[in-house]
Amino acid sequence: MIGSNKKTTMPLADKLVSSFLAFELDIDIQSPVHNIRTDAIKKFEKLGFPHRKLEAWKYTSLNKLLKEDYTLFSKKKNVLDFKNVKDFFLDNTESYKLIFVDGFFDSFLSQTSHEKVDVCIMSAALSKAKYTSIIKKYFNKSIEKGDSLSQLNTAFSKEGAYIHVPKNIILEKPIEIIHFATGNESALMLQPRNLIVLEEGAQAEIIESHQSLTDNPIFTNSVSEIFVSKNAHLDYYKIQNDRLSSSLIDNTYISQERDSNSKIHTFSFGGKLTRNNLNYYQKGSYINSTMKGITIIDDKQLVDHHTLVDHANPNCESHQDYKGIYSGSSTGVFNGKIVVDKIAQKTNAFQKNNNILLNDKSTINSKPQLEIFADDVKCSHGCTIGQLDQDALFYLRARGIPKKEAEALLTYAFANNVLESVNIPALKSKIKKIIANKLGVEIGFDL
Amino acid sequence: MAYTEEELKKELETKEYEYGFVTDIESDTFPVGLNEGIVKAISKRKEEPEWMTDWRLKAFKSWQEMEEPKWANVKYPKPDFQKISYYSAPKGKDKYNSLDEVDPELLKTFEKLGISINEQKKLTGVAIDIVVDSVSVATTFKETLSKKGIIFCSISEAIKNHPDLVKKYIGSVVPQKDNFYATLNSAVFSDGSFCYIPKGVRCPMELSTYFRINQAGTGQFERTLVIADKDSYVSYLEGCTAPSRDENQLHAAVVELVALDGAEIKYSTVQNWFPGNKNGKGGVFNFVTKRGICHTNSKISWTQVETGSAVTWKYPSCILKGDNSIGEFYSIAVTNNYQQADTGTKMIHIGKNTKSTILSKGISAGKSQNSYRGLVQINAKAENARNFSQCDSLLMGNKCGAHTFPYIEVKNKTAIVEHEASTSKIGEDQIFYCNQRGIDTEQAIALIVNGFSKEVLNKLPMEFAVEAQKLLEISLEGSVG
Amino acid sequence: MLTIDNLHVSVEGKPILNGINLNVRAGEVHAIMGPNGSGKSTLSSVIAGNEAYEVTKGDIIYKNENIIELAAEERAQKGIFMSFQYPVEIPGITVTNFIKTAINSNLRARNEEKMPANIMLKKIREKAELLEIDSKFLSRSLNEGFSGGEKKRNEIFQMAMLEPSLSILDETDSGLDIDALKIVANGVNKLKNKNNAVILITHYQRLLDHIVPDYVHVLHEGRIVKSGGKELAHELEEKGYDWIK
Repeated sequence: MIGSNKKTTMPLADKLVSSFLAFELDIDIQSPVHNIRTDAIKKFEKLGFPHRKLEAWKYTSLNKLLKEDYTLFSKKKNVLDFKNVKDFFLDNTESYKLIFVDGFFDSFLSQTSHEKVDVCIMSAALSKAKYTSIIKKYFNKSIEKGDSLSQLNTAFSKEGAYIHVPKNIILEKPIEIIHFATGNESALMLQPRNLIVLEEGAQAEIIESHQSLTDNPIFTNSVSEIFVSKNAHLDYYKIQNDRLSSSLIDNTYISQERDSNSKIHTFSFGGKLTRNNLNYYQKGSYINSTMKGITIIDDKQLVDHHTLVDHANPNCESHQDYKGIYSGSSTGVFNGKIVVDKIAQKTNAFQKNNNILLNDKSTINSKPQLEIFADDVKCSHGCTIGQLDQDALFYLRARGIPKKEAEALLTYAFANNVLESVNIPALKSKIKKIIANKLGVEIGFDL
Repeated sequence: MAYTEEELKKELETKEYEYGFVTDIESDTFPVGLNEGIVKAISKRKEEPEWMTDWRLKAFKSWQEMEEPKWANVKYPKPDFQKISYYSAPKGKDKYNSLDEVDPELLKTFEKLGISINEQKKLTGVAIDIVVDSVSVATTFKETLSKKGIIFCSISEAIKNHPDLVKKYIGSVVPQKDNFYATLNSAVFSDGSFCYIPKGVRCPMELSTYFRINQAGTGQFERTLVIADKDSYVSYLEGCTAPSRDENQLHAAVVELVALDGAEIKYSTVQNWFPGNKNGKGGVFNFVTKRGICHTNSKISWTQVETGSAVTWKYPSCILKGDNSIGEFYSIAVTNNYQQADTGTKMIHIGKNTKSTILSKGISAGKSQNSYRGLVQINAKAENARNFSQCDSLLMGNKCGAHTFPYIEVKNKTAIVEHEASTSKIGEDQIFYCNQRGIDTEQAIALIVNGFSKEVLNKLPMEFAVEAQKLLEISLEGSVG
Repeated sequence: MLTIDNLHVSVEGKPILNGINLNVRAGEVHAIMGPNGSGKSTLSSVIAGNEAYEVTKGDIIYKNENIIELAAEERAQKGIFMSFQYPVEIPGITVTNFIKTAINSNLRARNEEKMPANIMLKKIREKAELLEIDSKFLSRSLNEGFSGGEKKRNEIFQMAMLEPSLSILDETDSGLDIDALKIVANGVNKLKNKNNAVILITHYQRLLDHIVPDYVHVLHEGRIVKSGGKELAHELEEKGYDWIK
């Protein structure tokens, strides 16, 4: 371009497509998922990155994010010292750990298991024969209809968490999954791929986070496929508190069988752009699906929650409760969709989205949708946008609590019922600390 | 034993659309097809000034480059725009000076529709403009109204007699290029109603327009423009019917409302275009753009009872431009058999202290699909904006669908927005309770539906609330689920 | 007026009533008592014609006609009234509107003209007064947000309006404080005459202090295990239901 010193770079989509061949040759072309990857890259090539003309991306533009010249595969394996990153782990809590650094598995920081349960890594699962049957049964099974970003991730699927909990096994300690980025590359794209299978009657708690350690841009396009079998119980926590130079697109697909229960909490405080695509597919009766979230953002942050609950069977429930607090020039998006199939009688589906705008430059776009084809159902959604209760604020200040603290207290109270259902004490206090920090106060919320 | 559902269904399936008669009047209809020549011919036939012809041609040019919108939750065969006749007028004189000159066959039509013009004239104090196919055939009460300076006439007359007003406001709320069907309407609109209420005048009676598509193979493209000058008030009602025909007929209307400072417009619609038969054959495609602009301290209130049409695509909206202005939307949309409705509203808050209320009741029966689609937008400068929305759906049987697609966009921290939606069905216990009091099942359903719709029915002018209530019952007959 | 002959009823295949025999003549008040789960509410629902209950055997003869095959509204139109234990809510329909619809439906079933508005209004006022019902109450949505007492009073108000031959009051005393109970009982007593009959279904003897029955029947495991005069109720109150088991 005339007058521009900037070197012209290949558009990211093209760059990705053209590096696919090299990527596959480099890993294992004999892999059982070779065809799936090849098929996925074709789909991505056809669709490209999503844009704002698509209804699902009406409020979130990836344009800026896609302009960076990302390194697609980090060249060097970096080693982290535990004491430098220990703040990102749970305090005083025994846990399994799956730690990735710049996309590579870090065996020093991790604590895996092959006793009774498999808490290990995708690269092993995709290459070793003993996992083939599970991979064949589950890998990419819930994503066939997924959007272009999920296809892209599938094409480059190589590393991530692999968790398999056999029948009636109850994990007594939680699993922590952390993806670190060291800033080794001037800009890095990461595409972790997780597969989590809970067999009949199994129970597990999982905590996932993405953490950059420098201000170099990071673009993570993550896919998690989760299968919760009959009577199984999953508690999943996503902690999104990354630096403002990092962006995350989290695509999570959960398939549930009858009498199962799965809860996902998403805590979004950090990151430049965060998009959560959370998709629930109910494949049996008497299923309970819960999704809750707290979003507290400021500056130019954007957090976009897209949820889908596909009620395809009778007598199931879903509960959604998302709270958002927006200040600065931040933007919040909530797009919740409940689909009730005509055979899904006696469905109870509830969706709540409450928001507070703290600044005139902040924006909230909310689109709670119901698509209902059965008559004997209880479905409702409610969405509110408002401010902190001024009377309550005055009351607290009249008792001598400074304005900032009073606001923080009320904000915390507003979001509190989402925190109530967090079952890991160390995690709960960690999140409370992050909230206090985010609101710029030094008070504890355990009043 | 009890009257079974099956028996009820059978009885009702044989019940026909009550307004489905064809009036046997000779009409003067243009050949099918659409091109510049047709647009010019329409303009010429209506003896329009050049500026109007040019305005139409400009719209037609834009339309040729536009595509049909696809985002609505409805499925239908794309109309072939070259197979529609864009102008049809009952033959006879082009203008009617009094009712005596109107074709007696036509007057009979109105009687069948329940509008006896003579009686209306004497009793109720409702002024009516009637548009059959494309042409306004009768406007009553002109004299009484003109004493107050109120102009109520067909838009064709307004173009001739009040060009300044029309020129100033036409296309000011719904721009020519607004959307595919609005643009088409701008090019080919044949008639419609025009209303102007002068400063400080409270219109003493309900103004009413009845629209009817009569001629086969014609589209109806009427255009309505209502201007309420400062501190004035008007209540306006439109009703629509069409004969039963096997083919789909296209209705693409545009309604523009202008509420100047301190004015109030209440706009009510009872839409009962032919919905198609019980197998989904025929019926009107109702693709309508309705929008109002509110200046300071003004208020626009839309109330609609939508029971007809095979496919409805309609979002009466308010642009709350002036400070302290108020927008309201009250809607009942009933779908049965194979009907599809995608309807709702847009409330655009621009001014300070603006308020909007949305109350939408959707009732789905048979194999129909009923969607609410709405936008509440609070712009950055709209301090202290308030919105309350409630969308309730009632499902009858599980072959139909009820959908809610609200869009809420807020850019101001002082805004308070609340949206609620719920879905329910008619409970067996409710029906048994009614039965035990001696009320049969069909009537019990009518009663429950009425209760469900009541908050909206209450917003209709008294004269039409009863009619609307009856329509609800007729539309839902045979839909016990 | 009503003869129940060897009535067997099941719900979803499970037998609830196992051979009920009962004879009610005009002018009589019968009380049916029994512990929870004895089948009291089933009996009232079956007489009223609720299709959720399946009559497997036996007959219900009302005014010399077997009504087993009649729909609920047909039975109602013939003068059978049931006061619901849990009256149903109908949002958006006022008490007045509902009772109007009910009365006119009944009249139409008898090929009679609709009741003129002024007569209807007068009757509504008169009956509302009888039950000490405030006129504001009449313009509220049917049972929506009503307290337990209001719901029951509303049931008896409808009974007063419809003037049935046979009234079945299902647990009308539950959820009522003593004042409300007196109002309801007083209403029922005033409506009673030699041409109509009342069946009271109740767990406690309390209501029977205010509406005195001619006969008391004790229901247990779907059968009437004991019948007697009003003194039977007192005996039950003293000895408890274990006594009859």
